Amino acid sequence: MQNHPSRPSDSEIIRRVIDGDVNSFEYLLKKYQDHVLRIVTKHIPYNEVEEMAQEVFVRAYQALPGFKGQGSFKQWLSAIAVRTCYDFWRKRYRSRELPMSDLSENHQGWLEKTLSSQSDKSFHEKGREKEAKEMLDWALSKLSARGRMVIELVYLEGLSVKEAAGLLGWSVSNVKVRSFRSRKKLKTLLTGVISA
Amino acid sequence: MKPLQKKYEALKKILREAYFEKEHAEVSEQWQVNAMRRIRNLGPVQSGPSFFMLFEQFVWRLTPATCLLIIVGAIIFLKLGFFPDYDVLTLFINNAEELSLAQLF
Repeated sequence: MQNHPSRPSDSEIIRRVIDGDVNSFEYLLKKYQDHVLRIVTKHIPYNEVEEMAQEVFVRAYQALPGFKGQGSFKQWLSAIAVRTCYDFWRKRYRSRELPMSDLSENHQGWLEKTLSSQSDKSFHEKGREKEAKEMLDWALSKLSARGRMVIELVYLEGLSVKEAAGLLGWSVSNVKVRSFRSRKKLKTLLTGVISA
Repeated sequence: MKPLQKKYEALKKILREAYFEKEHAEVSEQWQVNAMRRIRNLGPVQSGPSFFMLFEQFVWRLTPATCLLIIVGAIIFLKLGFFPDYDVLTLFINNAEELSLAQLF
């Protein structure tokens, strides 16, 4: 795969930034902004996305001398983004700022209606995406910060345990244990809601 | 049990769809400017490894040597008959005697 002659490679830009050309970092920011936003949006509440995406780039900038070029810059940046999201939830849980609202009657009604319908229509077609998202937020808020990240990466995104471990910087066995416990807890929560 | 499991699987599917629906976020143009402002304010990046990075890198390598040193030190102290607890206790008892005598006179 050849680079475009007028476009410098990521490693070239990184070298420039490390040599003191701070403005060169703007190229990396523009190039990977959408990628970082996609990751952050999936893990963080919408109103915090802009701030956290900035935080990802600030951390990446500070950690740039540590980038050894073993994998791609995109992969390295993804790991920073995921770890920044995890730190966000850790702080949230520690400061107890997490909204712990219970499900309303609307949600229960929506759930009964959705699950009792035998059609295979997706939730877009049925409408009421808002309730689905709120229920997801409710279920995730009942998990720990670690459990939340593991569930999002392994269970919802479908990443392998090894991939999730690489992104989070944890051992594979740690992710396996967390995944097992969190899935069990999530199942208890959701079956509790269904059978209520 | 089966209908409950079926409902659970259906709910899982719905939640997964809701999760992927979260992907669409757009930032304002000002966001890029603000991000670069924050980065410029940090100044040039530190190219040399920091003290903490070096510490983290070497601390684990030195662990076996440190453990060995502790074991060797403990053996030497045992051979020399050095018992700090015993010495401290003796000193305390002697001092207590002196203190009691001083109170009498």
